[in-house]
Amino acid sequence: MKKSKTKTALVVIAASIIAFLFLLPLIFMIFTSFKALGEAMSSSALLPKSWTAENYGSIFGIGAEVPVLRWLFNTGLVTIAGTALVVFVDVLAAYSLARLNLPGKKFFLSIVVAALTVPGIVTLFPAFYLFRQYALIDTYAPLVLIYSANTMGVFLIYSFLRGFPKDLEEAAFIDGASLLQILRFVIFPAIRPVVATLSVLTFLTIYNDFLWPSIVTSSDEMKTVTVGVANLVQGANFVNPGRMMAATVVATMPALIIFVAANKYFVRSVVSSGIK
Amino acid sequence: MGGISFLPDEMPFYLTDGGVLRTMRISRTWSIVMYLPFLICFVLFLIVPLVYGIWISLHSWSVFGGNGGFVGFDNYIAILTPGNIYSTSFYLGLKNTLIFVAISVVPLVVISLALALLVDAIPKKLKVYFRTIFFISYAVSVTAVSAIFKWLFTGNGGYVNNLMNSIGLSPINWLNEQPYAWVSILVATIWWTIGFNMILFINALDEVDETMYEASSLDGANWWDKFAYITFPSIKGVFVFLTIISVIASFNLYGQTLLITAGGPAQSTQSLIMVIQQMVFTQNNLGIGSAMAIVMGIVMMAIVAAQYFYSFRKE
Repeated sequence: MKKSKTKTALVVIAASIIAFLFLLPLIFMIFTSFKALGEAMSSSALLPKSWTAENYGSIFGIGAEVPVLRWLFNTGLVTIAGTALVVFVDVLAAYSLARLNLPGKKFFLSIVVAALTVPGIVTLFPAFYLFRQYALIDTYAPLVLIYSANTMGVFLIYSFLRGFPKDLEEAAFIDGASLLQILRFVIFPAIRPVVATLSVLTFLTIYNDFLWPSIVTSSDEMKTVTVGVANLVQGANFVNPGRMMAATVVATMPALIIFVAANKYFVRSVVSSGIK
Repeated sequence: MGGISFLPDEMPFYLTDGGVLRTMRISRTWSIVMYLPFLICFVLFLIVPLVYGIWISLHSWSVFGGNGGFVGFDNYIAILTPGNIYSTSFYLGLKNTLIFVAISVVPLVVISLALALLVDAIPKKLKVYFRTIFFISYAVSVTAVSAIFKWLFTGNGGYVNNLMNSIGLSPINWLNEQPYAWVSILVATIWWTIGFNMILFINALDEVDETMYEASSLDGANWWDKFAYITFPSIKGVFVFLTIISVIASFNLYGQTLLITAGGPAQSTQSLIMVIQQMVFTQNNLGIGSAMAIVMGIVMMAIVAAQYFYSFRKE
């Protein structure tokens, strides 16, 4: 027994060291955002010698050159609307496929699975061109709508429902419940963990997407935060690492907070249940 | 289970009570109504662009000038026949992307499996914290990852070189010299994507039958025997799945090389998606760009299919 205790301690120590190394890039990001230009360029220490908030001032201050808050607003709007759309559309479709008498069910199920294998790059530019034809470039429409075609969510919820016993629904039906009541009182509570997982995955996908928002936005006000920060990396602002990292901190924090808060939904193997 | 399972599995349960035909019709109507929103989105934003993309690839077509006439398979011939500007950039992007797939997939899968095994050996109470830490980079966007790693690796004033200077090592021109440019991209990508793979491995490890370990301990099996004969066979499905996912992810290399190395040095990290993106926008050639995207998609699907059949051919 003693031997296994030392072994466990060694494992925890090794994991702690690796965890610290793993967090270094984020620690670097946060500390550098509080360094002035000269120190950020020359320092080999992580902690700032003299702390400064001027980098954040240049983002949030009056007349700030970089509209990070506007980008965050765009990202927030697009991410919430896109996630709501995906969850709404996918839950209904998955229920219809798993439980109802949908005509051509086999065919509709197989296109859901087949679509998972189509590489995104194939549809990306034609989709851009179509949105352009309808003068929807640089609006919120393409930023929200495109994610609704992803079939992963339908597949996840469908797989879950197939493994979920029908007894409760049958009992509710015999007691005279309508379809909507069954959905509301039996199905929704049951699928909540899968829906939570799907929501978080979709949320992070949309929040962090880069290629698509970079081709369907053109004005500075319509950019999402990932596109805005990318332009900073490529542009003249890049010469100041402190300011660059401050913008990155502001861009990254909301997603990190949501991730940590929602982390428990990843703990159980819901994500892997669809792939076996 | 005790419940009344009086219906065959494939039958909708709404047929039971009086008026079979009526409830069947209701169920059918509702099933269509509920499937329709998804179907509309799916057709508009996946099927239509897919078909339209194939159609465009058979035409001379530009973003700003529109359709310039049917050309048959000329676009495909142009990008596949060596010796012209289109095929030169296509093969360059394909070669660079394949190099990245070759150097990234093994570390992405092996390191995440090693991390998962490590985390799995941690006592339950602490496990959840380590799980969160190693998964945290999943919440960081490619542009933030690139901003961070570009400032870590930048030759002049970057943190890694400052650190190397301070301990007496001569600085390396990470982003403008090969193989260091690939090393930088690889490190950034591993840090960014390893957490997702690890989580799926951990979930798979949780489901391995504990009693098999106990039985093998009694038989005197060592750590490697247990891994090779119990653990790995149990998680093989997830292993293959993650290998395929990693190949697809590495094929889609774009943000890191665009932002960290800008395709350099000497276009050696110019990925295929960067080439296609430039073809469509900078060269204003949507026809060639669409053909390139479709060939890329076919190459990806072929590699994934080969992996799949190779992995499961015996079972």
